[in-house]
Amino acid sequence: MKQFTAAVLLGGCWALGALAAPYVPRDDSTVLERLPMRRSDPVAAELRQLRGADLARRNFELAMAQGDPRYVGYAEAALRKADNDPPAEVLFVRGLLKQYRHDFDGALADLEGASKLAPEHIGAHAWRAAVFMVRAEYAAAREECRALEPLASELLATGCRAAVDGATGKARAAYDELKAALDARPDAAAEIRLWTLTRLAEFAERFGEPSLAERHFREALALGVRDDFLLAAYADFLLEQKRPQEVGTLLKKWGQSDNLLLRVALAAKAQNLPEALKHAQALGERFAAAGLRGERLHLAEEARYLLDLKGEPKAALAAASENWKAQREPRDAAVLLEAALAAGERKAAAPALRWLYESGFEDARLLRLAAKLR
Amino acid sequence: MKRFLLALLLASGTAHAHKPSDSYLALTAEGRELRGQWDIALRDLEYAIGLDADGDGAITWGELRKKQSEIAAYAFARFSLRDCRIRPGPMLVDEHTDGAYAVLQFTAECGEALPQRLELEYSLFADLDPTHRGLLRAQFGGQTVTGVLGPDRPRLSLDAEGRTRLEQFLDYAREGVWHIWIGFDHVLFLLSLLLPAVLSAPRFAPAFWEVFRVVTAFTVAHSITLALAALSVVSLPSRLVESAIAASVVLAALNNLYPVVQRGRWLVAFTFGLIHGFGFASVLTELGLPKESLLLALVGFNLGVEAGQLCIVAVFLPLAYALRHTWIYRRVVFVGGSALIVVIAALWMIERVFNLKLGLW
Repeated sequence: MKQFTAAVLLGGCWALGALAAPYVPRDDSTVLERLPMRRSDPVAAELRQLRGADLARRNFELAMAQGDPRYVGYAEAALRKADNDPPAEVLFVRGLLKQYRHDFDGALADLEGASKLAPEHIGAHAWRAAVFMVRAEYAAAREECRALEPLASELLATGCRAAVDGATGKARAAYDELKAALDARPDAAAEIRLWTLTRLAEFAERFGEPSLAERHFREALALGVRDDFLLAAYADFLLEQKRPQEVGTLLKKWGQSDNLLLRVALAAKAQNLPEALKHAQALGERFAAAGLRGERLHLAEEARYLLDLKGEPKAALAAASENWKAQREPRDAAVLLEAALAAGERKAAAPALRWLYESGFEDARLLRLAAKLR
Repeated sequence: MKRFLLALLLASGTAHAHKPSDSYLALTAEGRELRGQWDIALRDLEYAIGLDADGDGAITWGELRKKQSEIAAYAFARFSLRDCRIRPGPMLVDEHTDGAYAVLQFTAECGEALPQRLELEYSLFADLDPTHRGLLRAQFGGQTVTGVLGPDRPRLSLDAEGRTRLEQFLDYAREGVWHIWIGFDHVLFLLSLLLPAVLSAPRFAPAFWEVFRVVTAFTVAHSITLALAALSVVSLPSRLVESAIAASVVLAALNNLYPVVQRGRWLVAFTFGLIHGFGFASVLTELGLPKESLLLALVGFNLGVEAGQLCIVAVFLPLAYALRHTWIYRRVVFVGGSALIVVIAALWMIERVFNLKLGLW
């Protein structure tokens, strides 16, 4: 009987292997690939019109919104044709691309260069603030927010300030201020509303009001703008709230980015679904492929994958520690603390613990973790 | 203005993780030729030359198929192997983690024999996407090499000689050991001849010498044909060789059940050993034979085979000798084992003669 089972298993594996091999599709109407947009799509038309830094920036925005790094490549190609003495706009987009590659020093330098050439450039200050936030350099981020105040709208300037406050133990005040600023601007563009609502949801989660967070996440989703970051943040929220079955429904359409695939896999695992294994395998392949390219731009995700899906706390800790050197956002801290705890290496958690106490970050889950590690 | 605002708005996405554009390039040395497979994402091909003829946002097999020659022309204008002529073969489709890929098969001819050094030049999508990479995996000179090609690194040399001669020698020796370990047909053939060797031995020495004669005869015979085939002096169709190997196992095991040859087992080992040598040779050719170090590869591989063989004998002989008078050895191992070998090898023979897949092993 055992042998029979073994034979069936072997046969099954062989059949799977055969399925994975290159093939000739059955007929001409077989759809092999769905493109992100049709030719008639207004965005496609816009991209055909744009040149240089404008084209690069538009592509970069698409990369961010859709979670698709191919647009980053197109953006770099568009910039490469730019001249040697780059104008502010080129420096600005180049800075964005550098921060994408985690060359934060280079990014800050380019963005500063853009500010010098064009002192009224809002984006340059906003992005410098964002890079400082990623590095947990809150005083420097606040400085950039201050520089924004005379240039940007009330909502944007408030958003910048609130982002810093929300990460430094003043989530409630940040929430109230940002909420008021949003209410005062019912005409704000959908993308701006989306960002603001996502922040509000995060702040609410941070000061322990999940139902309020839920409401803002839903408002943001109802805007109908595809945003990878929002989807990931809401998926994390649902996982945290032990509602994994909703993650599958939420992300069904958007399996493209590693970011979201990680959440899909975590949700499947939380429900003991058989496809958890398949998702984890696909993620593993993507990380391996990135490794082949010599890139590790997604160390935090990789650490999370190693910790929660592969059950390899030591490897997860190594990835999380490496990630912490470059990126110090709350989720980077979370995975580092969890990996250190799981690997039984409390010392390795020290940098994240220091950040937690120095920043005054108030998320209950992180504080619980920290207490366990003391 | 709105765009500028978007910058801050989207700033939280700094650490987004996804799949950038990669192509997968696999090269395998096969005799004098290189066999290649190049997987290129349909999304990238769409961006470069346009596949979606009706603009509906979906790429069908029909749309892809119509562009086959255009794709091959585009791709192979951006990839070359120095001193080799690339001949595109049929196009297939495969799924990778980020979508469907066109699979371009090709062969490369590089003259009389494969050069010691392969020089690749790669510029696919260099103008369209500087983050594109070509991920290379080559089985060449008895080793597997991986490498990354891209706009920053358009050239790559693969050196069979990058490894010292000793390392190459050891590579081939390892392959030889490995092949005898996984080459069940060779192992079973040898065992069939060795099983009876201890049966009537009064002392260890005669048993040892009987085994020694058989193993040496087998070794000498397959070394001769291995060398002849590897040097392209003689070549036989592989289906014939594989079928004959299976037949040799059947006959050797049958001889234990219904003895025909009893004295000169070494002669049997020698005769059939000649056939097994051709089998080893095909493995060696698949590994890719470097022209400059042919002899080294040949000797290394052969010694590896012998080493693997000796390990098997070293385990088998003392065990069999110790157990030779027991009922277990005489009935179960000798008779039962031989019968089992006959059945297994007969199935192999049917598979190989009729080119079937019965799913054994």
